[in-house]
Amino acid sequence: MSSYEKVTDEIRSIAEKLLKEEEVEKIIGFGKGLFSDEVTPIFVSRLKDVDRLIFSPQASMSLAKYLLNYKEQKVAIVAKPCDSRAIASYLSEDMIKRENVKIIGINGCPGIEDNSACQECDIRNPVIADYTVGEEMSEEEIQAEIEDFEDEIEKMSPAERMEYFRKEFERCTRCYACREACYVCYCEQCFTESNQPDWVGESVKLNDNFTYHLMRSMHMAGRCVNCGACEMACPEGIDVRALAAKMVRAADEIFDYKAGLDPEQKTLLSEYDVNDREKGFMDE
Amino acid sequence: MMVKKVNKDGFKELFNKLKEEYNIAAPILMEKGKKELIEYGYVDTFEDIIWDQQPDSSPKNIVFPQNSYLGNDFEGHAAYDDGQPTIILGVRSCDIEAIKVLDQVFIEDEMYVDENYKNRRDKTIIVGLSCPERQSSCFCDTLGLDPVESDYAPIYLFKDDGNFWIKVKDSQYEDLFNGLEEGDQDKLNKLLEERRAKFKESSFELDIPIPLPEKDMFEADIWQEMTEKCLGCGVCTYYCPTCYCFNFFWEGEDGESQKYKSWDSCMFSSYSVHASGHNPRDSKDKRYRNRIMHKFSYHPLNYEGLACVGCGRCIDRCPVNLDIREALKMTEEYLLEKGGAESGKD
Repeated sequence: MSSYEKVTDEIRSIAEKLLKEEEVEKIIGFGKGLFSDEVTPIFVSRLKDVDRLIFSPQASMSLAKYLLNYKEQKVAIVAKPCDSRAIASYLSEDMIKRENVKIIGINGCPGIEDNSACQECDIRNPVIADYTVGEEMSEEEIQAEIEDFEDEIEKMSPAERMEYFRKEFERCTRCYACREACYVCYCEQCFTESNQPDWVGESVKLNDNFTYHLMRSMHMAGRCVNCGACEMACPEGIDVRALAAKMVRAADEIFDYKAGLDPEQKTLLSEYDVNDREKGFMDE
Repeated sequence: MMVKKVNKDGFKELFNKLKEEYNIAAPILMEKGKKELIEYGYVDTFEDIIWDQQPDSSPKNIVFPQNSYLGNDFEGHAAYDDGQPTIILGVRSCDIEAIKVLDQVFIEDEMYVDENYKNRRDKTIIVGLSCPERQSSCFCDTLGLDPVESDYAPIYLFKDDGNFWIKVKDSQYEDLFNGLEEGDQDKLNKLLEERRAKFKESSFELDIPIPLPEKDMFEADIWQEMTEKCLGCGVCTYYCPTCYCFNFFWEGEDGESQKYKSWDSCMFSSYSVHASGHNPRDSKDKRYRNRIMHKFSYHPLNYEGLACVGCGRCIDRCPVNLDIREALKMTEEYLLEKGGAESGKD
C-alpha cells in the first residue's frame, strides 16, 4: 500500500510538470480549505498553488464527476482507483473526451477513513491512467486486505433487512447529497424531479424515501463502481451504499461483470447475449 | 428582569417540574448509523442533555418541521397545527437569532401570517444558553452577534462549573422559577463579561457592506470559481437554521388529496424552473449567488439584520466542504478591488 505522503509528493511533481508544459489548464485534486483543515476538492491552475494539492485519508470525494464540467477543456485529475473506474465508465458512455483528460492515478490505494466501501475494494490500482503515483499492489496483497470482509446485510432475514432499511431511510431528508455525489447520477432530469408522472412524493415520508433509494439503486446496476461517495456524502449517516453494492455483487455473480474496468467495455445493460442467464437481480 | 441561581441538582428538579407541563427539546446525542450527532430532540432525562458542544443541527425543525400538513381545503390554508407547549432548552445565540429570522418572515411580515407556524411559536419558550466557547467553524461574532447573550430569548442560561444562572427577561415567565434562590445580578454580569473576553479574538475578520450591493454583486465574476466544487445538493440549506424556503403541493392518500408544505432548497436545479421550462437560475453559480445574496442583501433590505447567523453548519455538513467564509472573503476582495478601480477612474 502506498503512503499518503509519498502520493502527495508525487502528485505535486506531476501537477507542476503538466502546468509548466501547458499540457492542461487545470488540475482537479484534493486540498485543504483556507479556513479549515477539512479536505476539499480544489482546482489548481496556477503553479504557485501546486503545493496545495494533497492526498489524505479524508480525500473521500469522487472527483470524476467534475470532468463533466470541463468536457471541452484540457484538465488533469487525481484519481483513486475507484475514481479511475468512474472515468473509464464516462469514456465508455462517451461522456468525456479521452484526449482532454490527463489522469493521475493512485496506485495501491491505502483507502479512505470511514468509507465502508474500502473494506471490500478489490481494485486498488487505477484501471486507466496517464501517470501513476504510489506503489502498485499485487493481487495477493489486495486479497489479503479484503480477506475478512463479510456483508452483514446478506446474513439478515428478509424481515430483519426490512427493519434495517426502515431505520436507515427514516432519517433521509432527501437532500440528494448521495445523488449529487454519485458519478452515475448525471441525468439532466432525475426521476425525482418529474411531476408527470409523480414517481416520488415531494413530502419526506418513509414510503417515498424507500421509492427514491430503491429506484436510484435500480439505475446503479452495472454502473456503480462501489466507491462509497454516496455514503460519505450523507449528512445523516445513512447506509446509502448498501443497495447499490447489492447491485454490484449481483452483476458480478450473475454476469461476471464489473463496471468501469476498461473504456472499451460496454455497459452491462446495453449488451444482450442469448446465453445470458435468466436469473434476475432480485432472485434469491 | 430576574436572576436566579441553582446548582445542577436544583436545575434537574426544575427540569422535571417543567416537563410536566411542557415538551422539552434540547441537544442530545443521536445515533445515526455510523454517525453520532448532537441534535435537538425531545428529552425525558435531564442527564441526556449535552450542554458544552454546539449541536450539529439547529432547532429549526421544531418550530418549522420539514413537512407540515395543511388539510384538504382548496380555499386558503387553514391552521391545522395548534402547537404544543414546548420549551427549547440550551439554544445558543446563533440559533436564537435564526428563529428571529423565521419569525420575521412567517409572523411579522404584513404580507401573510403563517398560522401554523405562529401557533407553534406562541406556545414555544426559547431558553437560551451562553455559548461556552467558539467551535472550529462558527463565526457569529464576525457578523455582529453576541455569543454570550441574545436579547431575543425571553430566558437565558449561563452555565459555569457547578451552577446554572437563569436570567428571566420576560416577566410573564417569572412564575416558572418561583422558589429558586435569587442570583447576584452584578456577579452574573461580571461572569458574562469574562466570557465575552474569551471571544475577543475573532478567527475570521470580514469587512463587507450590508446589505451587499445588489447589482454589483449580481454581476460579479466570482461566483463560478466560488462554486466550482459545489455538488448542487440541499445540505447547506436543509441544515441552515435560517433557510426557510418551502413548497406547497398536493399528495394523494387513500383516494383523497392532501395539502402539504415542505422545505425546499434554492440549491436544487428544479427550484426556479418555470412552467415553460425556462430556468433563470440554470447553473449552480447562479443558485449559490442567490443563496449568499438572500442572506446578505435581500433579507437585510426587506427585514432587519442578516439571514446568516454564522453557526457554521453549512461548512461542517457540506459533503465537499464548501466554506461560506471563503465565499464571503472572495466577496470582500472583489468589492475592495472594484472600489479601488472605480475610485482610480475619478
